Amino acid sequence: MKIKTILFLSILSILTAQVGPVKALHRNPPRAWALTNAAIHVAPGKTIENGMVVMWDGMIKSVGENVKIPDQATIIDLEGKHIYAGFIESWLDVSTMKKDTSLRAHWNSNMRAYLNAVDLFHPDKKDIKELRSLGFTTAHITPKGGIFQGNSGLVQLGETPKVLSGKIAQIIEYASGSWGSPEYPTSLLGAIAFIRQGFYDAGWYGKSIEILNKYPDGNEPIQANQSLETLFSEKNNKQPFVFRTSNEIYIDRSKNIADEFELNLWIKGNGYEYRRLNEMPASFMIIPLNFPGKPKVVDPHNALQYSTQQLKHWDMAPDNAAKLSDAGFQFALTSSDLEKKKDFRNNLARSIHRGLNEADALASLTTTPAKAFGQSRRLGKVAPGFIANLVITDGNYFDGKSTVKAVWIDGNEYEVEPDPLVSVAGQWTLKESGNEWALNLNKSPKGFGGKISIDEHSFKLKTVKIEQDRITFSVDADTILHKGNTRFTGTIREGKASGQVFYADGNTANWSALLDSTRVKKKNDGKKEIASDLEVVFPDGAYGLDEDVPSPKTILINDATIWTSGEKGVLREYDILIQDGKVKKIDRNISLPRGNALIIDGTGKHVTPGLIDAHSHMAGESINEGFQNVTAEVRMRDVIEPNDVAMYRALAGGLTTINLLHGSANPIGGQNVVMKLRWGSFSDDLIFKPAPQGIKFALGENVKRVRSYGRYPETRMGVEQVIRDAFMAARDYKKSWDIYNKDVKLKRSAIPPRRDLELDAMVEIMEGKRLVHSHSYRQDEILMLTRIAEDYGFTMATFQHVLEGYKVAERLAEHGAGASTFSDWWAYKYEVVDAIPYNGTLMTNAGVTVSFNSDSDELARRMNLEAAKAVKYGGLDEAEALKMVTINPAKQLKIDRYVGSLEVGKDADFTIWSGHPLSSYTICEQTWIEGKQYFSLEQDQYFRQRDAKLRNDLIQKILSSPDHGDKPMKPEGRRGNRFESCDALEAYTMEGGK
Amino acid sequence: MKKTLFMIIISTFISANDQIPGPPQSHPILLKNGVIHTISNGVIQGSILFDNGKITHVGEFIAPQVGTEVIDLEGKHVYPGFIAAVSGIGLVEINAVDVTNDHSERGNFNPNVRANVAYNPDSEIIPTTRSNGVLVANVVPASGLVSGQSSIMMMDGWTWENATLSHPSGLHINWPQMGTRARGRFGRSVPIKNQIERRNKSLKALDDIMKESRAYARLRQTKSRSAENYHNEDLRLESMIPYVQGKLPIYVHANEVRQIEAAVHWSKRQDVNIIIVGGKDAWRTTNLLRKNKVPVIYESVTALPNRRYEDYDQAYKGPALLHEAGVQFCIATAGSAGAAYQLRNLPNQAAMAAAYGLPKNEALRSITLSAAEILGIDKQVGSLESGKDATLFISNGDALEIRTNVLQAYIQGRKVDMGDRHKMLFHKYQEKYRQLDILK
Repeated sequence: MKIKTILFLSILSILTAQVGPVKALHRNPPRAWALTNAAIHVAPGKTIENGMVVMWDGMIKSVGENVKIPDQATIIDLEGKHIYAGFIESWLDVSTMKKDTSLRAHWNSNMRAYLNAVDLFHPDKKDIKELRSLGFTTAHITPKGGIFQGNSGLVQLGETPKVLSGKIAQIIEYASGSWGSPEYPTSLLGAIAFIRQGFYDAGWYGKSIEILNKYPDGNEPIQANQSLETLFSEKNNKQPFVFRTSNEIYIDRSKNIADEFELNLWIKGNGYEYRRLNEMPASFMIIPLNFPGKPKVVDPHNALQYSTQQLKHWDMAPDNAAKLSDAGFQFALTSSDLEKKKDFRNNLARSIHRGLNEADALASLTTTPAKAFGQSRRLGKVAPGFIANLVITDGNYFDGKSTVKAVWIDGNEYEVEPDPLVSVAGQWTLKESGNEWALNLNKSPKGFGGKISIDEHSFKLKTVKIEQDRITFSVDADTILHKGNTRFTGTIREGKASGQVFYADGNTANWSALLDSTRVKKKNDGKKEIASDLEVVFPDGAYGLDEDVPSPKTILINDATIWTSGEKGVLREYDILIQDGKVKKIDRNISLPRGNALIIDGTGKHVTPGLIDAHSHMAGESINEGFQNVTAEVRMRDVIEPNDVAMYRALAGGLTTINLLHGSANPIGGQNVVMKLRWGSFSDDLIFKPAPQGIKFALGENVKRVRSYGRYPETRMGVEQVIRDAFMAARDYKKSWDIYNKDVKLKRSAIPPRRDLELDAMVEIMEGKRLVHSHSYRQDEILMLTRIAEDYGFTMATFQHVLEGYKVAERLAEHGAGASTFSDWWAYKYEVVDAIPYNGTLMTNAGVTVSFNSDSDELARRMNLEAAKAVKYGGLDEAEALKMVTINPAKQLKIDRYVGSLEVGKDADFTIWSGHPLSSYTICEQTWIEGKQYFSLEQDQYFRQRDAKLRNDLIQKILSSPDHGDKPMKPEGRRGNRFESCDALEAYTMEGGK
Repeated sequence: MKKTLFMIIISTFISANDQIPGPPQSHPILLKNGVIHTISNGVIQGSILFDNGKITHVGEFIAPQVGTEVIDLEGKHVYPGFIAAVSGIGLVEINAVDVTNDHSERGNFNPNVRANVAYNPDSEIIPTTRSNGVLVANVVPASGLVSGQSSIMMMDGWTWENATLSHPSGLHINWPQMGTRARGRFGRSVPIKNQIERRNKSLKALDDIMKESRAYARLRQTKSRSAENYHNEDLRLESMIPYVQGKLPIYVHANEVRQIEAAVHWSKRQDVNIIIVGGKDAWRTTNLLRKNKVPVIYESVTALPNRRYEDYDQAYKGPALLHEAGVQFCIATAGSAGAAYQLRNLPNQAAMAAAYGLPKNEALRSITLSAAEILGIDKQVGSLESGKDATLFISNGDALEIRTNVLQAYIQGRKVDMGDRHKMLFHKYQEKYRQLDILK
């Protein structure tokens, strides 16, 4: 831009002059400016093609096509330039301290809610400069570290950042250490429980402080806690809570938490929002533009390592913003997650090519965040009364090719890439000692370069240096100049240059040059990027559903062998009628009144109830919160991973219901969730809602194993005591609540008991509302736990694994516990040295309800063959053997009213087999849940063909696409085939401890 | 099973607590009126006669000589003993108890260690395994780049020397990971650069080993005083000689397609005979395997697909794909020592392959004769033919069906005590419940 008045503006002094004393002399440079002749984008969708902006003392005074310029204002002519409102960087992380030794600190260092980003913001000047070069004038700064991370703030990105707001939102991250970390939580499970407990604690703390203030007498003071105090007031003030998320599932989890605590929810997004657009909350979102780089697929074998969902994500990620915008979401865009911030503009341009509306894009950088951050009357528009934050570009900002020339912050100019003093680049004609040369000078990011030519000879210039208006360069043009290295030096002024040339022999002469043309850079546009033509499937990637599973009203299976797992036993050549997802009738030759049923010919086929696995870890993103010996507060339902392909593979083996259990790292683990494998559904819809709540316990080697950080217990003696202790604490807890709740005076004037999620779960066990499933091996510990249960007035639902159950089967039967065992595992650890495959049969014969479980994503695919082992080992009747994987696990999970057998009125969960379900040669052909087909060989063929073509097309597209410079996507590797059992996981931990 | 005695023989029907190895076969035994699965010659409704540990006759009708023990099978089935092409059995007792593990020697280069000397014939796992018809196992060391030499063991015997059917059966190499991973197991990540560096180091090490071993072999064969005086002996290189000379096979443990292909090309370059063990991705490169006549020991039919998008039954149908493509293969359970206790489910692995496309007779062959051929012991075991070892068993049905039970086994004609730890505990606790009047 042409600056008419050259100023040496000392921005620093202006900003600090507000309260601080003056050093040396007062400095009061003028701050009245009029920017004229520019295209002014006053607000999203509103542009003044040729207008002016008047600023005065950091504020915009007037904007318009022809506004009166006050006399004192200095005019800057911005012909050909564009003016935008200063952009808001909606996410800029500020790292916070780890240790807090304050007396008011929380017991856990992950709780730092009281911190304020504005107190801890010590930015690198280089980083701020980089943000300004992208057009950002203001930033939402967000504390990072821990789980409750503290308050974000809003700052101006001037030389000395100025705080516009010290308190915007509380930032929350699902952060946890991993195995062996020295502090709780060590898993996603624990992190979510920590967040929930944190909110309950804040509520309790706030209430307690109120009571203490009101009734200081007779109430014991509580420990001050700065974070809980902050959280309490923030929640009451409806201040936003922003959850950092890493994919669409985390957004859903955040929504659940926000619903539970009625939070004003904001989302720090992740780029995967498009995958479950319909499930996304209507909250303000801050969306990053970090697109995956090209997968490395040139090597076909390397290409194999990318999952189909990864390849799709490469293609679809740049559509995310456009899709969010089309669906009407309110979002801001941020450069925060980009590896290289300078890619932001390119990625923004790509988003626009792929359909993001420019006005929406502008809103996402200006008015939308301004509104969310409570600054809609100060930031985001070029309008009178707004802070004088402006972006000056030499073209449309959103085409990615224009240059940001300067930004204005608080009415002060920050040059980004000012026009040069003189024009240098272009075609010149240079004269020297009677020679006439063509001189070509051009500019690249590295600096100036060029060549000099005469006739057909051409020489590259060496070390071209331009300083202000002075130019020097040298050239090795021996053959023409006959004089070795020749050096030129001179001055440029308005298209003319002249100076001296120094030849190799020491002689000098004059040279002069004329600028013939300013070369226009030709950028090769290439093909304009367009939106992906792919559709999202559910879950995205291979085997995802294109549409909802059809739900036929009436289904009739004819002439099949029906294994009812009920009183009717095995029925040969029978029909089964399904209506509205329930079993309506089982009989010979059922005839239908109306002809619109789906008819399945069952001739030669066997139909069994959908198989049930009472011990599974599939579709669990996190399995163990093992740091503490009791973690009854954590819930598997919080960590469901609806994209886990293990569910589809299990359906292909006839499995329909699983008990997703916490791992076996601690005596009292987390709460389980019973799920139906409704493939394609999002997390909550996988849950089998009528199933009673439960919890996992664990005994023996896994829990007593010595931990590096030192954890009680280390013997089976200690395990018993830990469990008793937990129940005792729960009994005391319940007592204190009972006393409190009954006494009106107490409720008014006493500090209430603190709600404890861990103890809540323990109380529910004692009240019979929560089923206990305990990992166990040896007879001593099995017996021990039945005694504890009886002492505390509940009945164990199941012993899991229970490989020595056969030694105390009469006790299990007497107590009434089910046994969910491995068919034939043994010898993998010392406590299974006496495990025998006759366990199931022996316990069954002693009157115990026995099921076979998998504890393995692999084994879960062939539970019918596990049942066959009960026939082999101990000679159980075949129909009884099948019950080990149908009605018996249903009974153990207390869901036998709904599933587990084919009887009238029950859920139509069934599997159609090619032959005898206990035969090794039989395969599963169809799997149905509630009258909907979730697997069939036919549908599977369709998926295979669809996905093979999709992969091929995508790889071709990747190969023929330009490289955008993003870091190549890394293959997922074996993700999806994760730990197969508690024991595999434990074995790993053991290695880790070495 | 009805038993006719042509001479007086004391037979024990009840299994003992400690399983006692059978004495050498003292008289001919004729199993008649059975379904004889010969493998090499189809299924015969008839009889099989064996004497001195060898099969002497298989046919529809065989007349017994005097002194022959005749057992009427009443339609029961006879199979050759199943063969575990790779297993850690005998080298491990309790996987998680370190001191009971003898499969993984320290270091990366252990060609000299031999499995059979550490094979514990009294392992409790062995009787439970032979109870399901697995009577022969190739027992393999596991660790490092070059793990050691495997031995083919019979699932009965007083000592490891008694139990050894053949040694050495081959040298075992764990092929380095050829790809790189963003995340390993449990999300641990190793920088890509380090992964590539480690791989290149391992590949170089393999070539160096071969070079050194060849040089050593030449030195040892040079019959000049200077050569003999010049060099000292080297246990490791000494043990490599038969392998660099191509006299014995090298088992290359490799699952991923790049590993398999690299191993095959390496074997051509080094001019050695290899067998691929694992072979999960072998179906992706069948042409190369067939053209170079590289057999595959396919581990773990009941495994998850390698990749998220692969067919759910990819591992199940792997053997069928190899069969259709004409690749020589056999089926094994996971050969890792930790999985030794699951070796008894070897027949289930073959059955699963049959359920997903492998012809039933090929499935049966894949754990009998096909395995014997790949291990190089098909002259002794793997089928029911006269002249072969009488290593066989009687079952009450199709032996690939889980519900079927093995009733009696013979190893080189020696009658196997069919008791095992599991049956013993079963009987013990049946007794408990009888005492409590819970069981009749």
